[in-house]
Formats: sequence, structure tokens, C-alpha cells
Amino acid sequence: MAIRSNTASSTPARKSLARKIWQTAAAVKTGVVLLILVVIFAAAGTIILQRPMTEPDDMQRAYSPQALHFLDATGLTDVFHAWWFLGLMVLVSLCIIAASIERFPNAWRFYSRPYKYPDANFRRALHPQKSLAIADEESGLVAAERAFHAMGLKPERVVREDHFSIFTERHRVSEMAVYIVHASLLLIFFGWIVDGVFGWRGTLNLNEGQTSNLVELRDGGTRAMPFSLRCDAAGQENYKDGTPKKWWSKLVVVEGGQDVVKKEIVVNDPLIHNGVRFYQSSYGPNGKVDKLVIAATPNPAVKTANAPAAIPGSAAIKDIAFTVGDTVDLDADTTLQFAEFIPDYAVRDGQVYKKSNELSSPAAHLIETSKASGKSFDVWFPPLEEVADNSKAPWLLDPKDLKMGHFTGLQVSHEPGQWCVWSGVVLLGVGLAFVFYVVHMRFWAVPVRDERTGLYSLWIGGTANRNRDAFEQKFDRLIETIEKELKPISPITESERIATVGTR
Amino acid sequence: MSQVNMSQVKEIPVTQVKTEQEKPAASGATLIVGVGLAIAFLLFMAFLNVVKSGNVLNEANLLFAALIFYAGAGALYLGFGVTGTESYVKFASLATWGGLLANTGAVAHRWYEAGHPPFASVYEMLLSFVWTLAVLTLIAEKKYGVKVIGTVTMPVAIVGVVLMQLLRTEVHPLVPALQSTWLHVHVTLAMLAYAACALSFALAMMFLIQDQMETSTFLAVTSASTVAIYASIVLTRFERWGGLSLIAWDPERKAEIFISKGVRLFVTVPDLGWLMLLTLLVVAAPLVLYGMSFWKKDGSFLGIANRAVFISILLQTITLLAFLARAREGSYPSLDVDGLYATSLTASPFILSALVGGIFISLLYLLLLWRRLDLERLMPNADALDRITYKTICIAFPLLTLMIAAGAYWANQTWGSYWNWDPKETWAAITWLVYAGYLHMRITRGWRGRRAAYFAILGFGVVMFTFFGVTYLLPGLHAYA
Repeated sequence: MAIRSNTASSTPARKSLARKIWQTAAAVKTGVVLLILVVIFAAAGTIILQRPMTEPDDMQRAYSPQALHFLDATGLTDVFHAWWFLGLMVLVSLCIIAASIERFPNAWRFYSRPYKYPDANFRRALHPQKSLAIADEESGLVAAERAFHAMGLKPERVVREDHFSIFTERHRVSEMAVYIVHASLLLIFFGWIVDGVFGWRGTLNLNEGQTSNLVELRDGGTRAMPFSLRCDAAGQENYKDGTPKKWWSKLVVVEGGQDVVKKEIVVNDPLIHNGVRFYQSSYGPNGKVDKLVIAATPNPAVKTANAPAAIPGSAAIKDIAFTVGDTVDLDADTTLQFAEFIPDYAVRDGQVYKKSNELSSPAAHLIETSKASGKSFDVWFPPLEEVADNSKAPWLLDPKDLKMGHFTGLQVSHEPGQWCVWSGVVLLGVGLAFVFYVVHMRFWAVPVRDERTGLYSLWIGGTANRNRDAFEQKFDRLIETIEKELKPISPITESERIATVGTR
Repeated sequence: MSQVNMSQVKEIPVTQVKTEQEKPAASGATLIVGVGLAIAFLLFMAFLNVVKSGNVLNEANLLFAALIFYAGAGALYLGFGVTGTESYVKFASLATWGGLLANTGAVAHRWYEAGHPPFASVYEMLLSFVWTLAVLTLIAEKKYGVKVIGTVTMPVAIVGVVLMQLLRTEVHPLVPALQSTWLHVHVTLAMLAYAACALSFALAMMFLIQDQMETSTFLAVTSASTVAIYASIVLTRFERWGGLSLIAWDPERKAEIFISKGVRLFVTVPDLGWLMLLTLLVVAAPLVLYGMSFWKKDGSFLGIANRAVFISILLQTITLLAFLARAREGSYPSLDVDGLYATSLTASPFILSALVGGIFISLLYLLLLWRRLDLERLMPNADALDRITYKTICIAFPLLTLMIAAGAYWANQTWGSYWNWDPKETWAAITWLVYAGYLHMRITRGWRGRRAAYFAILGFGVVMFTFFGVTYLLPGLHAYA
């Protein structure tokens, strides 16, 4: 460190600062601290109630105003979309990049320039290793080569000054696996950040027959899509016990007044158009009347008193189907208007109120109006004695059927970065498979001549970067094979062999 | 049927405690005969019940049989602890096989009846989890020679089966969001990963034993766990005048009773609160004594602490029995609403499993205290355990990764986003990060031994929270399980 700053020509202090920052960023400790921070804040995000999933009322009930103010100000009520959480993830990415760059050159050297000839020091320290007595260099090398071939390895003769040795290896790529894993994590982060910046999510609720291009975004805004979506039909299928089994919607993409794409979507099978995906997420009554069917008959009590119903041909029973806001002619003089529909009504002081939007006790308000006199009569279903007397209207009405309208709830999302995420996931799987299950193993075989006795022995050593127990068994089998290969060539007695094996 | 459920719930702790209270000098044959007879008797009783109902091979019966076998295995493992007779371990292993067989039958039956693999609810996932755990236990035993691993995993399996008896068992048709192949992929991976994590936890505990960790440290840890259990019960459920508040249960609808949206009705069971408080004080005694021996450097406190553990087990058993007797059925007043309301064990599965778990934790300590040398003899050495723990995590981690990826892919198809920061997702990511931390520390920093073992234990704690804690404590999209 000191030598380096002396040789550096310009501003050593600044350089060492930059170097310090770099080393801090690349340190495992920094990474661990950052990950602990991510864990703490992510955990906080699951324990503190989060907007906008929680209704504002519930938030106020759960926390005191001061606490809520503090949580809102720090972004703790929406941790996963807070700028500092994103910042933390960026820091983690930078840390991974720095750590990889810092360690990569060494690993690359190891990968690109394999260590083929083990020197004496390496040979002394390596475990496992074994020395076998051989007659001469060539016979030992050939036996080792045969044994390696039998293991499915490709031995390579390494020339060193005046003699040969053998090197062989398998799955060198395993040394690079950890970089594949880190690169894949970066890809996932990158895709996720792209989605956070350029992507959007929202909901689109369409009534049957409705067309719209406005998506309600999760932050409360709306977004106009360059094309519209029409729902032709939607429905639900149930299991026998009444729980929903399937929701479906027939969707049509309308672009420039033309039907471009048609698809029936169900849950787990979205419609994708121009990178925007539409998911079936819910289905239900929209609280609106699709069709009210009523039978109308002239009121005999009113007919005697008033002229209109006496018009010929009008005395027949009429079946009328209409919806809220529609007006139909009952006869030449009388019109019938479907004025109002209340999903959950209550009557107080002769007035009808809406209690809630739930379809629990519906009421329909119809108005019969005479064109000539301008006189109108209110008709209510169910009959509400306090509010109006249905029997005084010129036509008696009898409700036959009420069909409620339904909406289909669609999740809409645009995630331009998701392909990055998925390729990252695939790469991550591959990388982890290499990290954990692909072992880089290396073997060396070196004929050694003992200076003292002049006898030759074959030094065999091996190493693996993981799963050493299994490797040692493999090594023992290799030695057995080599011994077998040596036997016909070297007629050495058992006692001599033991003597030479002992020497290194 | 509920009669059967209740009797078996009571049975496990009773048999366990009985074996524990037998004098260490008891001859080996007595226990084997005893446990064998108990298993035979329970199976016979169950059979009588079954014959009455006319359906022999249904899921509840198979599960009951599995419970009996697992409990027998657990009793034998603990019996081995008390007497040191090695043949018990062999029989315990046999009982585990029997339990696995019945468990497999239950899984198959469920699968057949529901028409989908049993992964759609907490109950079904527990079923698969216990099955995987039993398989892995046998693998660890046969392949790696960790013969006594069942001492740790069998209690977990028993608590799992007890929980299953309490959770709803009706086959529910899949709601639309769950109808996807990815669901099966996701959950299979989750179960495999979690079972591997459970195994790594058991191995890490064994490593700590082999690594000559002081028996008194285990005393501190086990009593701290039981104190935590009773403290959390007392703090959250203790009511005025010594009552214990429990969630009210509507036996006809088989559901919890709600006062308004999201607000459950609680009933107060009189006197149970005092009992819980008393038990809390008694289980705290060993911890306090440990503290005193630690500060005053006086070993004589530990001897008293060990006796206090023994007494605390007796009191814990009494508390459990009282809880079973009173919370099983009966109507109690509520503080919020007038009138009497029923409650049921089904409404309080976590209190029950916490009570059973507390007894197991204390029993495991006694096992260690009395039979440490025998345990050590039957386990591989510390180095080997350390390596097997690491290998197990090397299996668990890729499985966790794939599980999260499959879940994300499924979420992308269903909710239109691969990552929603839903609590379950977030905690799965946290689990992943913890194990990633373990691997980094081990590979780049060379963490071995104790520190690595603590990390593995922490990891399993996070897994348990993700599995149970998130489902029951934190609300979210992941409501099915």
C-alpha cells in the first residue's frame, strides 16, 4: 500500500481515498451490513401497515397521529416504494459489482492459465496425494494416462525442461460459477429497477359491453392507453359448494375503431397486447341493473276515472324489459321511466334512502307520467306503502325478473424489464447448479527420481474445489486403477513397493 | 371423530412424560414392551372406533396411525435417552417407518380425494411437510449414520400432526388463482426446501452437542425458549381475575366468531390464566438459577436448576392437561359481549402446539443432561456433522431459490406482477438472504463450527416464521397458506 502511494505521481491522498472507498465497497463486510439493512427494512415493511393496501381509516385507527406522521414522513408506510429502499438495493448492486470486479482478475487468471506443473512445494502440501513405485518414467506416465482415460478424463502431457508430467482436469467452468450467480442477480435487479421506473400497474373494471382505455393506477392516478379494451362477456363458474371455480372474460382490443385482437382470458392466462398484459383478477355484480322485466296491465280502478287507458289496443298485458334511465311508452299518453335503483334501501319519514352499495335489499323506483296532464305517479318495488301507493297508477306493474349487471376486474400491467428478470432467474438457476453440484477437479501425475537410490516413483496428486469427501474416494479409486495398470509392466516385489511408497 | 382427535392429543405428552419419569435404571425391555403395548392399544382403540364408523382407510385414521407411530418413535428416542439402551433406536427407526407408511397413505388419500396434490391449504402443506421430514430423517439415519436425529425431528413431526388434527380438514376446491401447475411446482419446492432446512437445524443442534458445548448453555437456551412461550401466552392472553382469553368457536359453522370485520370474539376461561402465570414463574426458575451460577461462578446453582427443569416439566404437563380439559369444549363468558360462547381446541392451535412444544424442549434438555455420552457415541463426529449441515444447506438453498422463482412466475401469471412485496414473499426473500449470508460466510470467510451452526439455527427460525408466523400474524395476498 505504502509503495503504491509513493509510486503514484499525482495526489496520493486523493487516490488512497478513492482506493479506500473502492475497497470498502468490495469488502464482504459491507455487503453483509447492507444485506442486514435490507432484511431489517423489508421485515419492517411486513409488520408496519403499508399504503395503499391498507385503507386510510385503518391506518388512523392503528397508529396515533404523531406516529403516523412520522411513519409517512420517513416512507415507512410504503417501504418497498420508498426512494431510500430503492437506493439500498442500488447500493447492494454496486457492492456486488465492486466485489466481483475486485476478485475477478485472480479468478480469471486461475481459470485462463491452469496450473499444470506442480512444483516441489505444492507437491509437499497437497492432499490427497500418493507415490507409487515405477520402473521408468514412460511406464508410469502411460499407466497414469490409461487410468485417467478410464475415468473419462483427457490427460495432457506437460513438458518441463527435460521431463514430462501429466495434468488433467474436469469442469473448470465451476470456478466461474459464482460470477454467473452474481451477474444473474444484477440482471434481476436491473430488470426490477427498469420496471420500477418505466413500468406501471393498475386495474381496469369493465362492465359487460363497456369499452375503456383508462387504467386506474395503484398510486391513485389514471393512465390512458393508446388502445381501448372492450369486454363482450364475462362470467363465473362455481363448484358445487358455491365457491368460485373459474372466472372468464371475452376481451377485444380496439385500435382506431377496429377490433384488433380477441381473446377469452381466465385466471392464470392473460391477454398480452403491445407489452401490456391484462389479467383476470375478479368478477362480480357492479350494482347496476342490466335488465328489469315487468308486466304492465291497465289499472281497472283508474280506467273508469280517466280517459287514456280507454284507447283501443292498449288494454293488453305488456312485458317490458329496460334498465335504469330508460323510458318506454305504455300507451299513447302514458310513459314509464325507470328512474332509480337502490341496492340497499331504508325508508324513513316517507323518504327512501340508500344504506349501502351492497345488493342486500334492492328497491326500484319507476315513474308513470301522463303526457297530456303532466301528472306523474311513483311506483316502487317492493311496494312501499309510506312512500307511494302503487295501486293508484294508471297501469298496474308486476315485476317478473331482475338481472343485475356484472363487471370483470382486470389487473393491467406493463413491465418492460420482466424479460431481464426471467433471464436472470434462469441464469441464477444455472449458476447455482454449477456452484453447488459441478466440481472442478484437477489431477497431476509427476514421475520423480529419488536422488539417493536412483529409483523412480510416480507422484499423483489431486484437488477439488468442493465436496472433498467424495473426491477423496474418487482419488483412492484412481490410485487403485493406476496400480492395476502398473502391475504387468513393473515386476516389483511387494516389499520394495512399500519401501518406495514411503518415500516422497 | 372429534373424540378420537382429542384422546390422541392428550396421549402424546402423557406417554412421553411417563417414559421420562421412569427411573434411569429401568430395564430396557420394559420400555419397549410398554411403548409397543401402548401403540398396539391405541391402534386397537382407533380400530374399534373405525369399525364403528365403517370406513377403515380414511385419511383421519391414517393420520391418527401416523401420529401413534411418530409418538412411539419419539417415546423410544427419549427412552433411549433415559436408559441408554441402543436397541431402542432401532425400534424407534422401525416406528418411524410405520409412521411414514401411514403418513404416505394419508397423503395419497388426500390427493385422490381432492384431485390435486395436497398443497392448497396450511393443513395440506403440513401433511406434506411432515411426510418430507420423516423421509429426510430416515435418509439422514441410513445414509449419514446420524442415528439419533429423530430425537429432534420426531417432536417436530408430532407437533405438525397435532396441528393438523386441529386445522380444518375438509377438502376445499381450488379457488381460481390456485389452478396452476406452477402452484404444485412452487409448493413442492417449498416443502422440500423447508424440510431440508429443518434437517440442517437438527444437524446443527447435534453439532453443538458434539462440539462440547456446555450442557448448561443448553439449559439457558431451552429454558429461555419455554419462558418465551409462556411469557407470550401470559402477555397476550392473561385477563382480569386470572382468566385466559381464547378465541370463541362456533361448533356448527366450524369457524371463528367475529364481532365485526377482522375483530374476533374472545371468551375468558377462568383460572387458566393463573395457571399459565404460575407455569411461567416455574419455567423461569432454571433460567434465573443459570444466571446466578453464571454471575456468582458457583456451579451448585446448576444442580438446583436441573431439578427445577424436572419440576417445570411436571407443571407444564399439568398446565397442558388443564388446558385440554377446559378449552376442549364448554361455554365461557366474554368480556365484550353478554352471554356464554363455546370455544374449542381448534380455535387455539398455536397455544396448544406451543404448550406441547415447550414440554418437548424441556424433555430434550433432560435427555441431553442424562445421556450426553450415549448421544455422543451414536452421532458422527463434530467435523462430519458440520460438513453434513453445510451439505444440507447446499441442497436447501437452490431449492429455496427455485421455489421463489416458481412463486414469482406464478404470481406474474395470476396477479400481473412477479414481485408484490407481499409479507410471505418478503419473508421468503429474507430467508433466502439469511442462507445466502451463511454460504458467503462459510465459503469466503471460512466460517466453520459454532458460528456456522448458529447461523443454520437462525435460518430455520426464519423459515418457521415465514411458514407459520406470516400466515397467522401478517395479513396479505398469500392467504391460502
